[in-house]
This record gives sequence, structure tokens and C-alpha cells, in this order.
Amino acid sequence: MKSLAVSKNVLRRILQDRRTLFLIVLLPLLFVLLYGYSFSGTPHGLRILVVNQDNGLASVRTAEVGRITLEVNLAERFIEGLDRDLFLVERDDKPDGAMEHLGKDGIWVVAVFPQNFSHAVLNEAVRAAGERTIEYQGRTVRLVPTETVEGPRATLGLDDSNPILRSAILEEFRTVLTEVLATQQRILSAEDILSVEPLYQGEVRTLDYTAPGIIGFAMTLITVMLTAISIVRERTGGTLTRLLIAPIHPWQVTAGYTMAFASVSLFQVGELFLVSAWLFDIRIVGNPAAIALTVVLFAVGLQGIATLISTLARNEFQAMQFLLFLLIPSLMVSGVFWPLEVMPPGVRSLALVSPLTYANNALRGVMIKGLEIPGIALELAVLSGFAVLMFTFSVISMRRQGYTA
Amino acid sequence: MSSETTERVLEARGLQKTFKSRQALAGIDLSLPRACVYGLLGPNGAGKSTLIRTLCGLLRPDSGEVHILGWRVPNVRIQSQIGYMPQEIALYDDLTVMQNLLFFGELYDLPRSQARERARDLLDFVRLADREKERVGALSGGMKRRVSLVASLLHKPRLLFLDEPTAGIDPRLRRTLWEHFARLAEEDTTVFVTTHLIEDAVHCHLIGFLSRGSLLAQGSPDELLTRTDQSDLESAFIALQEKEEGR
Repeated sequence: MKSLAVSKNVLRRILQDRRTLFLIVLLPLLFVLLYGYSFSGTPHGLRILVVNQDNGLASVRTAEVGRITLEVNLAERFIEGLDRDLFLVERDDKPDGAMEHLGKDGIWVVAVFPQNFSHAVLNEAVRAAGERTIEYQGRTVRLVPTETVEGPRATLGLDDSNPILRSAILEEFRTVLTEVLATQQRILSAEDILSVEPLYQGEVRTLDYTAPGIIGFAMTLITVMLTAISIVRERTGGTLTRLLIAPIHPWQVTAGYTMAFASVSLFQVGELFLVSAWLFDIRIVGNPAAIALTVVLFAVGLQGIATLISTLARNEFQAMQFLLFLLIPSLMVSGVFWPLEVMPPGVRSLALVSPLTYANNALRGVMIKGLEIPGIALELAVLSGFAVLMFTFSVISMRRQGYTA
Repeated sequence: MSSETTERVLEARGLQKTFKSRQALAGIDLSLPRACVYGLLGPNGAGKSTLIRTLCGLLRPDSGEVHILGWRVPNVRIQSQIGYMPQEIALYDDLTVMQNLLFFGELYDLPRSQARERARDLLDFVRLADREKERVGALSGGMKRRVSLVASLLHKPRLLFLDEPTAGIDPRLRRTLWEHFARLAEEDTTVFVTTHLIEDAVHCHLIGFLSRGSLLAQGSPDELLTRTDQSDLESAFIALQEKEEGR
């Protein structure tokens, strides 16, 4: 059984290579745990800004006593009915400029209830359903339809950059409005009294939403793989030693690598954008310079990660495994497929240390929302810090590789 | 050797290096005169590569110090004065011979035209003048080794470290390489060669026997034969090793 001998030999070598063994055992666990935790959550903690101008009064006509004024406070009932796990409700009393907060500082929804919201909804309900009876001051009175109330609706400004959250938000609004309306008349639907104003022009498809993250992921995969394997080959082949003994500082070697692979990344991202836009009409509404800046900063940082991998790996095979070990978690937790807002707090804190999260947010901000460089300043600042940190680390590591190669 | 042999190109004192629990260098003292061929002989695992890497500043010793041309290692001023040919081929297989050499020349600030001219002279010197446009990956092992030597010589180093340059190559090429080394010494380059082949020792002006991280003896081949009262260097090495183990 020569095949068995070959097989046993392969397994023996794996068992004797502690790093490979470690990755073989850990990688599937990491994959399934992160997948489970990341994708099983429900959205929560979305900030919503509410401007409630509803005076809570509804003037309705009765068959028995003429016009009466009811205190119904429908808007307040609606606001109170919102799921407090899903939404972090914040209030504002000025309607002017409230919509300007939308899409900024994590505000996903701005809901404005006009002054006569309760009045309009109640009258609309009576008009739609015909007469109905209510108890009023100890007697039963019939509400009769009145003239059409000029449609003041609740205005719902919605950050629709994330299709998953958009669906969750609208679903919640429909549910709560239906519950509140059910106390009056079931005949009105949420759509009758809700005017949704999406923040962005044109529908943001799931494809548009995931494209920036996929581009960032592809960039991570290719850049880290090429750089790590190149450095490992330089080291195992002895050329790194030749480089380090020459009158060239490790930072110059690192900078050389960084420039080469940042150029490769820029080229690849350009290629990805062209093909995605051409074949799949991917949404790219922002400034290409902001995209390029994000890509370059991210690529510099990735180069540092690649150097880290090359330091840990003895050969190309191990480098590939370390690459997977870093890539899979970053893909799972960085909000590429599933929004961060849906993830459990533990996984979300992992996302905060993943550079792909910031690259993804920055690219998404530019491509979907059309943000300029100031709009993605936080992400660029984090990516700059990541780039500087990783570059410094690369230089130290490169120097160390010279001493230990 | 030139007449200025009193000038010390390399001085090392008390070099010690331990990897985990294994002592690779156990207090090495070394002194190399100018324009000589120094052969460091020892079996595999004796610490030759560790010593050569420590001498040229690639490895930091646990204790002791190295001075090259008067400067303490590591020092950027030394880097342009030394050449190093590692045990590996240490060339880019996917580039041509000339592309490799021009790249390494650039690292030593050689102007491109000068680097090309120097590379051609050296390729001629190692009898590979007609191979400059070939990819390194397509060359035989012996040819690669000679190109590797050329890459180490491009910038005219004053001190050249060669780590096992004759390992695994045929006797004819080995003889050619030793002729190259002798010529380099005549041209005022000090050549430090490690080898595990005792027959290589006859080509050296000075030799050192390294065993288990200790330098058993140093001197010219004749001196070592006289000192050990042996007729050949292999017997001399064994005698020194047995003496060391008997301590």
C-alpha cells in the first residue's frame, strides 16, 4: 500500500508542523464561530431623530353634538411604540434642519410629525371607514366623515445606503403604525400616513452595498498574498540577505515594497471598478480621488500585515495559511455582507480593530453616498494610523528578518 | 598576499552566540590581514554560517565585538566595503543575469553604465560573458553560483565573505573558483571563505578550524601541520578536535 505510505507521510509532516496543525484546527472553528455570531444578529441601536410637533388634538364632527375635540396623541403613541432595542430614540423640537442630520453621526432615520398629525389621521380614518361610534363625556356619539384634511403625513427621512437596515426600519415603522392605527381604524395603512424620503437618489441594491467591501476584500487578498509570498521567497532564496547587507536601510526596502504593491493595488482596484461599473452597473457616485486615497492608505497598511505574515511563516505554504487566518475573520466581521449594526457587541468590537471595516466604510461612503474626503475623514484617519503603524512595524520586522534569516 | 599584510581588515573579539540552549559561537577571536584568502573550515553545524553572518553584521552576537576596516559592526559605512555571497544562490530566478546584476549595482549606488561595464567584466572573469541575457532560473547550479559571486563583487568590496561557495559543485568549477579568489586577493580584496571541504584549505593563505562554535586553531596550512605534527590537514583537524574533546 504505497498510497497509504504517502498519505501517512503527508499527515505525519502536518502533525509535526505545529503552526500548520494549529491553523488546521483553529481555522474552521474561527470560521464557523464568526459566521454564526456575525450573521445571526438582528439590527439594534440605530439612532433615530424624532421631531414631534403633533399637538395631540383631533377635531372631529359628530352626528349628535357637532364638532368636538379629542385628545388622541397618535404621534406620541407611535413614538412610544417603537422598538427600543432597534432604535435609540432622540428628540428634537425644531423641524427646520432636522433632515440635515440624516446620514450623519449615525442617524439612520429622521421622523417629523406635523402639528395636526393626530387630527389628520383621525379624520382620514373616519372618512375612509364611514361612521363610527365612540364614548364621549359619558355618552355614545357617532363620528361622521368630514372634508378631506390636506394630507399632512409623517415624513420619514431614511438613510437608505444599507438595504438590510432600510428593510428593518421600514418594517418596524409599518408594524408600529399599524398597531397605533388599529386603535382607530384598520382601514388606514402605514403607507397612507407615511411619506418616505430616501436620502440617496436611486435605489441602493444589495450588490451596490456589498461591492465596496468585496473590492476591499479582493485588495486585501491579493496585496497581502503577493507581498507576503514575495518576502518569504526573498528570505528563503537568500536575496533578502543580499538586500540587507547592501548599503540600503530596511525602511528603504520596505518603502520599495510598499510603492510596488500599492501601485499593484491601485491598478487592481481600477480594474475591479471598471468591470463592476461596466457589467453590473455598480453604484459609484463619489470622487475617484477619495477612492484612490483610501486604496493607497489601505494598501500601505496591508503591506505591513504581509510583512508580519512573512515574519511568522517559514515558507510560502505557511504564509498562505496565515493569510487565510487573517482574511476570513476580517471578511466576516468588517460589515462587508452584514451590517455592523446587526452584529453582537463582541463581534462588533472585533470589527473596530479590523482595517477592512474602515476601508469598507470609506469606500461605501464615497461610492454609495457620494461623500467627499472630509466626509470619510474618520476612516481616512484610522487608515492613516494603520498605515503608519504597519509601515513602522514592517521596517522593524525587515531589520529583524535580516538578523534572523 | 600583498606586502601590507600587517594592516588588519577584520578584528573580532570574544564572539558568543547562543540559539535557545545551543551555543553556536563560544568566544571567537579572529584577526584578518589585508589581501589574503582566509578559509574557515569545519564540519556542517560547526557554526561557520553563524560566524560569517555575525562578522558581516547580519546577526547580533550575544557578546563580543567585530571591527571591519576600523569601524565597529554594524555600521552603514562598512556595508559598501564588504561583499557577501550567501550559501543560497540569492538571485532572482525570473530576471536575466544582467537585470539581477544591474539591480544589485543600483543598491551600491553604481551608475547604470558603470554597473553594466563592471558586470560584463566580471561575467567575463567567471566565463559567463555570453549568458548575460539569460534568465537566472535557466542556468545550471554552477553558473548560478558564479553569477552570485559576480553580484557580490560588483561594487569592488575590500572584504568579501563567501559562505560555502564550493559546496555541491564539481571539482573543475571548484578549482576555477579558487583561482578567482586568489586573483581577487592579488587585487587587494580580502577573501573570507567558509567550507566544509578539507581539500579547499590548500588554496588559502590562512585557515581556521572551527568545531562546535570554537576556533580550534588558526594559521597558515604549513604552520598548522607543524603545530599538530601531522602530514595532512585532515589529520591535523582531527588531532585538534580530539585534543579539544579531551579537555
